[in-house]
Amino acid sequence: MPEERFSIPIGPQHPALKEPGHFVFTVDGEVVTGASVRLGYAHRGIEKATEGRNWVQNLYLLERICGICSHIHATAYCLGVEKLAGVTAPPRAQAIRVLVAELERIHSHLLWLGVAAHQAGFDTLFMYSWRDRETVMEMLERLTGNRVNYSANILGGVKFDVTEPAMDAIRHGLRFLEERTSHYVDVVREDRLFLQRTEGVGVMTRAQAERLGVTGPTARASGVPRDLRVDAPYAAYGDYTPRIVTETAGDLKARFIVRLNELSETYQLIRTLLDNLPEGELKTRMPRRIAAGETISRVEAPRGELFYFIKSEGGEQPARIKVRTPTLSNMDSVVRLAIGHQLADMPMLLAGIDPCFSCNDRLTTVQTGDETRLWTWEALRQYGIDYYREKV
Amino acid sequence: MNALQQAQDMLTEWVEAWTEPEENRLDAQVTPANLLSAVKALDDHAWGYLVAITGLDAGVEAGTLEVLYHFCAGPAVLTLRVTIPREQAAVPSICTLIPYAGVFERELAEMFGIEVYGTPDPSRLFLPDDWPEGVYPLRKDTELD
Repeated sequence: MPEERFSIPIGPQHPALKEPGHFVFTVDGEVVTGASVRLGYAHRGIEKATEGRNWVQNLYLLERICGICSHIHATAYCLGVEKLAGVTAPPRAQAIRVLVAELERIHSHLLWLGVAAHQAGFDTLFMYSWRDRETVMEMLERLTGNRVNYSANILGGVKFDVTEPAMDAIRHGLRFLEERTSHYVDVVREDRLFLQRTEGVGVMTRAQAERLGVTGPTARASGVPRDLRVDAPYAAYGDYTPRIVTETAGDLKARFIVRLNELSETYQLIRTLLDNLPEGELKTRMPRRIAAGETISRVEAPRGELFYFIKSEGGEQPARIKVRTPTLSNMDSVVRLAIGHQLADMPMLLAGIDPCFSCNDRLTTVQTGDETRLWTWEALRQYGIDYYREKV
Repeated sequence: MNALQQAQDMLTEWVEAWTEPEENRLDAQVTPANLLSAVKALDDHAWGYLVAITGLDAGVEAGTLEVLYHFCAGPAVLTLRVTIPREQAAVPSICTLIPYAGVFERELAEMFGIEVYGTPDPSRLFLPDDWPEGVYPLRKDTELD
């Protein structure tokens, strides 16, 4: 009998978080034997579009690459353009950039915790973590006027100052979040049903993590001590250095623990920053034309290393802006780690890297032969939950 | 000895010219024929990691494209620069040495019309299925509405 392969296309309308993506898993029974990825369903041609806009317009364009980590894109861009122009933003502005970046990290990690819990069928954790996320959203709104797309940066500095009452509100909110986070650490370490979905699932050794080119919390959960805030400090991270949080297990559980422990580091960093915020100007003058040259700007986004390559030919518009987001680096690991896992583990495995993907969700199951079935993403998620419930 | 000096020592054999565009950065001009050897030298010494592949179009008049392979080790960035003609633009795949480079190579190929020979999956990564053949969005002479 000839070998038959079942191909299960998942997406493009679907997976866990932002942005649609398309995966094809080949399976032998329940076990995934191969996987491939196709992206671009939300590709808006932003890199090309930057070449037709001036340096200021591009700030607003690049900030809209991601709804969750908008600030870190703007920060990478501003730091790069400022470097080309030979301009340095004042210390208070750099510290405020760090403050917003860390609040954004809290927002991103709590959002991820909820979505990942939802994929595991643990909706109580999803709802509590998203309720707690409101706390940081309110801090961001109070500071910047916006819950997302904060638009804190301008070329040469930041737009707003941080007042004493705002600092007190942040300190107050952090106390609540710190308490919640330490509770969540207990939950992801001890909840027996949850551990069934995370412990020993999607294991990536340190050697594998290095070979697969993963970045951010995904890499740190496999013991790769890499964090640009420490390795190559930018903005004000030279003055406010976090501890690099790592775990060695390399499974989904470790990815939960790393992100939660990073939150605790972030709370500490924000407190230190608020207590030591340098006085001074918020911005400095920027030229309209940027000196010719090429620069590289690397920052630590919530999901890992974000890389910008910026080339100027001396005009009012850039010649080229290249953006490499952390998700692209981590995507390959999903495709490779999928092999040998249960189909039911796919939603969690994908959520484990915290991909930037859309949640509007349709999934098609096509079987070889004449039979064709249609599954929704919701159905696959439920399938994963039921599969493990039966195993209890 | 810092990381970039180490890289320079590993690569002397394969590099035509060196430049230091910024602090903590080193650019190495490499021919397409020497690219794999240079990447292999870095890989053999476990020097840093590949962070991105950038395509650059110098324009129709210059008649060349550039492919930049950025490797990072802590704060240091080493860039291998390969210059190729716009017509018959091709570079070898580095996936045999760095498997995860596949996604970067797929992006490079479809955006710049550069053939990456030997890449395991040459299908489109970002462009739509109905995107016309032979239109490469990030080439300078491609005008988009």
